[in-house]
Amino acid sequence: MSNILEINHLTMRFGGLVAIDDVSFSVEENTITSLIGPNGAGKTTVFNCITGFYKPTIGEILLKTNKEFNLERMNDFTIPQKAKVARTFQNIRLFPQMTVLENLIVAQHNKLMDASMYTLKGLINARSFKNAENEAKELAKYWLDKINLIDRADIEAGNLPYGQQRKVEICRSMCTEPKLLCLDEPAAGLNANESLELNELLKFIKKEHKISILLIEHDMSVVMGISDKVVVLDYGKKIAEGDPNSVKSNPEVIKAYLGEE
Amino acid sequence: MQDKKNISLIVKDLIFTGLIAAVLLIPIVGLRTEISTTDSTGLIFNYNFLITFIVIAFVVGIRFLFHLYWFSKIKREQKEKSETDKKRFLKKLNLYLGIIAGVIAFTLPFMPFANRYVVDVATLVLTYVMLGWGLNIVVGLAGLLDLGYVAFFAVGAYSYALLSTGFDLSFWICLPLAGILSAFAGILLGFPVLRLRGDYLAIVTLGFGEIIRLILLNWYEFTNGPDGISRIPRPSFFGFPFARKSDGTTFHELFGLEYSTMHRIIFLYYLILILALITNFFTMKIRNLPVGRAWEALREDETACRAIGINPTNTKLTAFAIGAMFGGFAGSFFATRQGFVSPESFTFIESAIILAIVVLGGMGSQIGVVVASIVLIGSTELFRELEQFRMLAFGLAMIVIMIMKPRGLLSNREPSILMHTKKNE
Amino acid sequence: MEYFLQQLINSLTLGSIYGLIAIGYTMVYGIIGMINFAHGDVFMIGSFVSLIAMVLLGVGTGVFLPFALLVVLIAAILITSVYGWTLERVAYRPLRGSFRLAALITALGASIFLQNFVQVSQGAKIKPIQPVIQGGFTFFENGDLVVSLSYLQIFIIIITIILLSIFSYLISKTPLGRSQRACEQDLTMARLLGINVDRTISTTFIIGAALASVAGMMFVLYYGVIDFFIGFLTGIKAFTAAVLGGIGSIPGAVIGGLLIGLIETFWSAYFTIEYKDVAVFGILVIVLIFRPYGILGKPEVEKV
Repeated sequence: MSNILEINHLTMRFGGLVAIDDVSFSVEENTITSLIGPNGAGKTTVFNCITGFYKPTIGEILLKTNKEFNLERMNDFTIPQKAKVARTFQNIRLFPQMTVLENLIVAQHNKLMDASMYTLKGLINARSFKNAENEAKELAKYWLDKINLIDRADIEAGNLPYGQQRKVEICRSMCTEPKLLCLDEPAAGLNANESLELNELLKFIKKEHKISILLIEHDMSVVMGISDKVVVLDYGKKIAEGDPNSVKSNPEVIKAYLGEE
Repeated sequence: MQDKKNISLIVKDLIFTGLIAAVLLIPIVGLRTEISTTDSTGLIFNYNFLITFIVIAFVVGIRFLFHLYWFSKIKREQKEKSETDKKRFLKKLNLYLGIIAGVIAFTLPFMPFANRYVVDVATLVLTYVMLGWGLNIVVGLAGLLDLGYVAFFAVGAYSYALLSTGFDLSFWICLPLAGILSAFAGILLGFPVLRLRGDYLAIVTLGFGEIIRLILLNWYEFTNGPDGISRIPRPSFFGFPFARKSDGTTFHELFGLEYSTMHRIIFLYYLILILALITNFFTMKIRNLPVGRAWEALREDETACRAIGINPTNTKLTAFAIGAMFGGFAGSFFATRQGFVSPESFTFIESAIILAIVVLGGMGSQIGVVVASIVLIGSTELFRELEQFRMLAFGLAMIVIMIMKPRGLLSNREPSILMHTKKNE
Repeated sequence: MEYFLQQLINSLTLGSIYGLIAIGYTMVYGIIGMINFAHGDVFMIGSFVSLIAMVLLGVGTGVFLPFALLVVLIAAILITSVYGWTLERVAYRPLRGSFRLAALITALGASIFLQNFVQVSQGAKIKPIQPVIQGGFTFFENGDLVVSLSYLQIFIIIITIILLSIFSYLISKTPLGRSQRACEQDLTMARLLGINVDRTISTTFIIGAALASVAGMMFVLYYGVIDFFIGFLTGIKAFTAAVLGGIGSIPGAVIGGLLIGLIETFWSAYFTIEYKDVAVFGILVIVLIFRPYGILGKPEVEKV
């Protein structure tokens, strides 16, 4: 299987602090890869480098879909647009005063801007734009249905309970029609039931939509339950990479989490 | 027992309030300095202790009312209206006020009490309403703190003045040109600064506003400096001038009416009304289009916008430029109505007033802008005599309204797209 | 060369005034993250209180000068501090935690209120005062060209230095200063550790107002005339100084003040005086565009 994402010798320095030190790993196409490690290991920093929010000090981040993209050189808003990489955030970032539906529609902004010829067609109510808008609504409806929130579509996103907000954020990312989905601690704050639902959702996304997923996670039930590969970071360095079971019994990994015997 | 303790606490608080008020007020209010008429060496005092005492008592009184209010709130079991009820109420209120305002606006000039003065004030109010709706695109929709909006008003007004006096172009050509120039100014000014955060953006736009005013004031060769540009041609009724006599047919001859200066006044009134309504309809329409939604999303969370592929700089620039354009249109109207423009009309305080209208009226409420304009500008005209007190009350109103309702009086946000409309429920 | 020297001396004086006001802006921004729009008007109030005190004491007409000036200084500091405290208590504290635009509008409202409060109470006309401190050292004289250092300028510069020393000691060595720095870093954590956040913030406003009032007194002495509107322009320039030096950094505010004093003085001296305000506004815009964190500030990395 080919790789969709290749991270080569990624290093990130903030002044004197080295957050990530020469990290290399890959994400295979159509798989779920989990990035784990103790707090402060640098996981979110890796994410921010992949999604363009930080510019890495050294290193290369290659996205290989129909074209090859050097993500380390791209802007944070160009990456979702051109490279089709979507991400969610550790602290949920929905648009709280907008409704759930609006959140999902605004995610399809670029598509709709093209369809409306930069708004001009929209101003004259052109048929083609109306069609594009209806399609966007249908896509939103599809995802809302998958997370059972269609009847809450017109509620302000900020008023939803935490677990539902998480799911909406994931669906919003899906509405950007990505090839690679990066999730930052999607299970944080979810109870056991909700974690199971999350697992099902992610498996569905991978299987039915052939989307590759990279996620940061602490919840081992999620990591072990659905990952095809696990990468472990500690103090900014990679200490293990492999399938979940072999990583689980890797002594280095155990030491990092539990300390020395 | 509890009540006794409460009463002593309240009394102590009132005494404290009185002391603070005394320290604040006695020097500034009580000891008024005047330039001495007797000897030329300087200032003498004009003692105002009675007024000072009255104001101190007033302040203590207000504080006392505060305590009463808190007291009653605790005693009474407040049945708090639910969130959805409040929203429904606000939505209805916005709608009804909109209808009433619309009806009044269209019929005003023909009402029995509508003399020249009334129509003039209404025209002024409508100018501010249009400016408020224009700024609302920048501040209300896109969430960009702009403290220099008056700059675009000025660019529009001066563009119109220079184009019409310099090149003899008609109103209907100058208006769009002035708008385009203002939009241009918006892009020029916006481009370097729109990546700045909240407060910084506010200060930088304030700086730009002042720079433009100072340039208009000092660049004598181009703008005539403090003298301003005068003899700006008045508008005509699509070619028919509002004059007693003219080379061609005049307006009153066309309609078989007796000549009256009111014709032009009423025409100007409807002109600004139409311009303002265009601004309003544009705003309502663009909210339902991708760019409008992107503005609102940008206002809520810029980082999330980046993560879904929205280019924040371009999106903000668009809001800024379009807001500037409407400001420019308003400026053109202003120039042709007055027949004269000078830098004095474009001070920072105007930007502050327009911003206050948008925020006090209520974020997201179009009719809120109208209400705020009527209250702030309309009351100005009524209390012309007490000009100084007007601004004092204005500043106080800004503080009080923000403390009580940080989102503005009539704030209400309608979603721009619904999954379940009334029909298919 | 001599002309240059004179401008240098003048700019030190002007810069001291701006620096004192700039500290107030920078401290408030550092601790609660808002721009205290009304700070310039607090400076203006300080100048009026100084003026009134001077007239009350008959300064300049035989009263023992150093003693009288000391009394004026103390009165100005005390009364203006109460203004600063009241401003925070009434207009800003209720909105702490609310969204940015509300805080901005209330600050604007406070600024408008203070300006008009003074206008209504004291009249809109300018208030001139006879020169109080006269004379000085003349280093060079050649017809029109004079290089002098007046007693007044020495007075201003020395008072500024004394105040800044007291103030730095306060900030770095006392518990008050520590609480303040803690609040600047992390307000919630400071509160959880038992720091009285409300009192620390109030104190910040009081200190800012006190320094601004000293600047106000200097202004009255130096320019000899004030009106209710001086707060706006001087305030913006002082804010520019704070931004130039690095908003949130107190040494930055002082350096920024001196720089703005230099720029304004030299621009008026060597270019045109009409556009001197444009020069300062221009600096503000340029700094915010190219280096918003100022000279002594560090670029903020946003945590995503």
